[in-house]
Amino acid sequence: AMAKLILLLLKLCILFFVVDAVFEDQVGKFDWRQQYVGKVRFSHFDTQLQSSKKVLVATESNVFAALNSRTGELFWRHVDKIGPEGNIDALLHHAQDAVLVVGNGRMLRSWDVNVGGLNWEMLLDTGSFRSACLVGQQGTVKHVAVLKKTVISVHYLSNGHQKWVENLPESETVDYQTVYSGGNGQVFVLGIVPHSHITIVVYSMEDGEIIKQVSVEAPWLSNIPASCAVVGQGTLMCVDSTTMSLNTLDLHQQLQMTQIPLQSLGLEVDPDFHPSLVSHQPNPAQKPLSEFFLQLGPERYLLLQLNNGQIVTLRDFKPVCNCFFIFHFLKDLSQINLAQLQPKATLGREVKLTLHVQAFLKKDDSVGYRVMVQTEDHTLTFIQQPGRVMWTREEALSDVVTMEMVDLPLTGTQAELEGEFGKKADGLLPMVLKRLSSQLIMLQAWIAHLWKLFYDARKPRSQVKNEVSIENLSRDEFNLQKMMVMVTSSGKLFGIDSKTGGILWKHYLDNVPKNAAFKLMVQRTTAHFPHPPQCTLLIKDKDTGLATLHVFNPIFGRKSQVTPPALPQPILQSLLLPLMDQDYAKVLLLVDNQYKVSAFPSTKNVLQQLQETASSIFFFLVDSSQGRLSGYRLRTDLSTEQVWEVVIPTEVQKIVSVKGKRPNEHVHSQGRVMGDRSVLYKYLNPNLLAVVTESTDVHQERSFIGILLIDGVTGRIIHEAVQRKARGPVHVVHSENWVVYEYWSTKSRRNEFSVIELYEGMELYNSTVFSSLDRPHAPQVLQQSYIFPSSISTMEATLTEKGITSRHLLIGLPSGGILSLPKMFLDPRRPEIISEQSREENLIPYSPELIIRTEWFINYNQTVGRVRGIHTAPSGLESTCLVVAYGLDIYQTRVYPSKQFDVLKDDYDYMLISSVLFALFFATMISKRLAEVKLLNRAWR
Amino acid sequence: MASPQGGGALSTRGGSGARRMKWALELSVGNTRSRSDRQGDVVYPIGYSEKPVPDTSIQETDKNLVEKRCWDVALGPLKQIPMNLFIMYMSGNTISIFPIMMVCMMAWRPIQALMSMSATFKLLESSSQQWLQGLVYLIGNLLGAALAIYKCQSMGLLPTHSSDWLAFIEPPQRLEIMSGGMVL
Repeated sequence: AMAKLILLLLKLCILFFVVDAVFEDQVGKFDWRQQYVGKVRFSHFDTQLQSSKKVLVATESNVFAALNSRTGELFWRHVDKIGPEGNIDALLHHAQDAVLVVGNGRMLRSWDVNVGGLNWEMLLDTGSFRSACLVGQQGTVKHVAVLKKTVISVHYLSNGHQKWVENLPESETVDYQTVYSGGNGQVFVLGIVPHSHITIVVYSMEDGEIIKQVSVEAPWLSNIPASCAVVGQGTLMCVDSTTMSLNTLDLHQQLQMTQIPLQSLGLEVDPDFHPSLVSHQPNPAQKPLSEFFLQLGPERYLLLQLNNGQIVTLRDFKPVCNCFFIFHFLKDLSQINLAQLQPKATLGREVKLTLHVQAFLKKDDSVGYRVMVQTEDHTLTFIQQPGRVMWTREEALSDVVTMEMVDLPLTGTQAELEGEFGKKADGLLPMVLKRLSSQLIMLQAWIAHLWKLFYDARKPRSQVKNEVSIENLSRDEFNLQKMMVMVTSSGKLFGIDSKTGGILWKHYLDNVPKNAAFKLMVQRTTAHFPHPPQCTLLIKDKDTGLATLHVFNPIFGRKSQVTPPALPQPILQSLLLPLMDQDYAKVLLLVDNQYKVSAFPSTKNVLQQLQETASSIFFFLVDSSQGRLSGYRLRTDLSTEQVWEVVIPTEVQKIVSVKGKRPNEHVHSQGRVMGDRSVLYKYLNPNLLAVVTESTDVHQERSFIGILLIDGVTGRIIHEAVQRKARGPVHVVHSENWVVYEYWSTKSRRNEFSVIELYEGMELYNSTVFSSLDRPHAPQVLQQSYIFPSSISTMEATLTEKGITSRHLLIGLPSGGILSLPKMFLDPRRPEIISEQSREENLIPYSPELIIRTEWFINYNQTVGRVRGIHTAPSGLESTCLVVAYGLDIYQTRVYPSKQFDVLKDDYDYMLISSVLFALFFATMISKRLAEVKLLNRAWR
Repeated sequence: MASPQGGGALSTRGGSGARRMKWALELSVGNTRSRSDRQGDVVYPIGYSEKPVPDTSIQETDKNLVEKRCWDVALGPLKQIPMNLFIMYMSGNTISIFPIMMVCMMAWRPIQALMSMSATFKLLESSSQQWLQGLVYLIGNLLGAALAIYKCQSMGLLPTHSSDWLAFIEPPQRLEIMSGGMVL
């Protein structure tokens, strides 16, 4: 019987849920992906071959990648774990091998630079990482040395095996900081005892024996990497910012530092600046160069040379900034006119920079250079010699915080017509004139279009491009193309065309604090021509609580002329009301820490409307640090009164998230049809909030998660569920009359989904208006749970224009896939025993496991790295929902939860149908004629 | 229900003879038209008709026959009901093209008959029990229509359940405006 049941189940599945995957020829047709690496921490130019095009980058997002230096595209990319576990501590590069130290010295990995494959991986002993270097001997590099707090280990470069490991002497008192090798079979470990002396331990490369151990007085030194560098034949050069002097120490012979005051070299340090040194060792098997850089001010660099203990100034660079120079062609590099290198001209503004320079000898023995510049807004710009920008990468997009999708404006002619009907009538004659003028404009546009067609037709087809630029942006027939407004954590805003993924505008907000919270709101859409669309970004400094507003046009990215109000008080939250001012901008209310409200825009009209509707405006605030949920009502004088409060004791559980319903969500059907054709009405409370709590006790036997459904107006708890032996992270989606959440079950050690659905019952209480204040009956609550075979990163529900299309859940998986799971699988009415009625209702019989079917992946093989959020937006077509997944990468596509019922298929045979139609038409004509002739003939008979 | 043969006793020969005379004497031999005619037709004598002339005189014995015929007409719809019931039973309650066609036929025939009620009454005019027959005819048709409606009902085609009106329920208007969230 069981086998039969399973067979039936399978049949049902096959019958009901034929979900189209993407066909091969549809790949990339309406989806695109952009891959990013993040803010660069280390970079190396692959110089083993002159023709090599690789730039190796290790980033703060724990990504190691190779970029194509000609195009900026990725050759390969490796994404490590988030957080300190995957943190890249060091990048060493030699020939084909790139060695990474990862996770505070936990892992040592070697990658093949050419193909991006892993050569080997070694787990290192515990201990916090200090430094690493490649060790060369007799001209070849065969080892890598890793210095930790108490231990030094040397590994073979070929296979990662440990050659030797030694405990560092006196590691309790000495803080070992750097390791250095000059290629002569010795490894120098430099450590300091603060305010006392430097300790130098020299190890033999062969067996790890200590050859020498010396201490040198240096009470002024506290940090070797910050103020010292090894130069020339093994001379430690340190800069002392208190006495303003250079101190040299020959690591091989001397036991005393030699002090050379900077004044004796005729140099002066900028006030309050800590000078620093940069040296270079082009090959680990050789000594470092005797030339080195000394930074004396934020923009002042000196090129010096150590020559037999004497320091010679080679050159004084004034304009260039924070630089890492490759010293390989040092003497030639000094001849480069560095004024050309100044990126201000090419980047158009003055920002903090990090430069990564590669210099090389050209065929004619002159020096060429390539520079990779990272600016403060996380843009990577690659510049070739005469200041030519080869490519730019907007790495800020690897950290999108929030986004919105805004409709594109109508074309000029459409807008003109719209505007004509939108304006108020002012007399017959002006109306006639206006109509004539708009007709004239349309005629003009049409002629221009014809001319363009004619002009393009003459050109060869390859030259005709339909590039989207900000000038020719216009809404398409079905509103499928939208403007994606993305806010990144660096404070850079982007406007991206959703069809092609092209960046149409970008705007860098300087003075965005490091730990800012962002909230993006669309105050006016493009529907109100001639008023421009308007978006408002609330930027709140989490430390001070103070917030600023950035008001801009989402289509062009320009700052709006509307001046946002000054916000002297810390802001707690902002509310976007459905009220509009006379210019069709939605009213934004800002709640400050005195629970006073200010409106933006705050015209007389708005204030009057607010006064009229104040009694029906409610808002809630959730303070998770105090475990407090509180509801407020607006008073007519824009002060507020607290209506309700729910306190969740913070010692037991903490509030992790609160989800209301999306304001632009439409629900077409008010109920569900039962098998006996009666209706089970949905409980569609627009004010319902889903509050998720997690226990503070993380012990697997006692941990739990709670879910509270609270009415945001009255504070009434509609439903409360506690999942015992479960812990977060909890992902929640709240929509229509259901809440879906996912958690980790510590009891069964698996991921589980749970769904709660709310129903009013067989009768509607009030079908015309919904008021939370007048709901005498509690809803019926149904709940079911399922096992999910994977953990998830994020979850969102599809959204369509009218809400007729069935819903899917879009689930971002850690594997990079985005799964489109039909909501009907998460339905608490799924029966355990199949009955006639449940079959009539198309309910799938309950089975605890949710299966991941590969054709449900909407992004096929286009994995999205570290997906953090999914944004869904309705299009003009009811069947189609636009989806943007963002994380390290950005992926945009469309989904059709109920298939494309309102559009002809992509491969629809227009030719066949039209030819058949024409053939039939002509056949009718001909047969009609023939019939006439025949009738006539018969009549003549 | 064949209508009685109308028209005159002298009917025309063939359909194409609209323009032709009812009869004609052909005197000249050289006429082209007659030549072609002669090939197909035989020249009939004057006053000869191709079709037999019906006996139009009414006889007394036919009265009963008329009565019987009228009852046939009146009872026609009632007689169809068992047949319809059988078809109904056979076609089942699934919604597919054939049952739908059956139901349409079943519903359309009584409606059509009811629409042309006056014509049927004219037909029954000659009967003595005209009113009774008319009533029986009406009841029969109404029963047929009711049967069709019952079939529609059992097939679930009638909007009698609340679920049939679900799509027309407008979303309720919200009276309160609510917004908010975590403290940023």
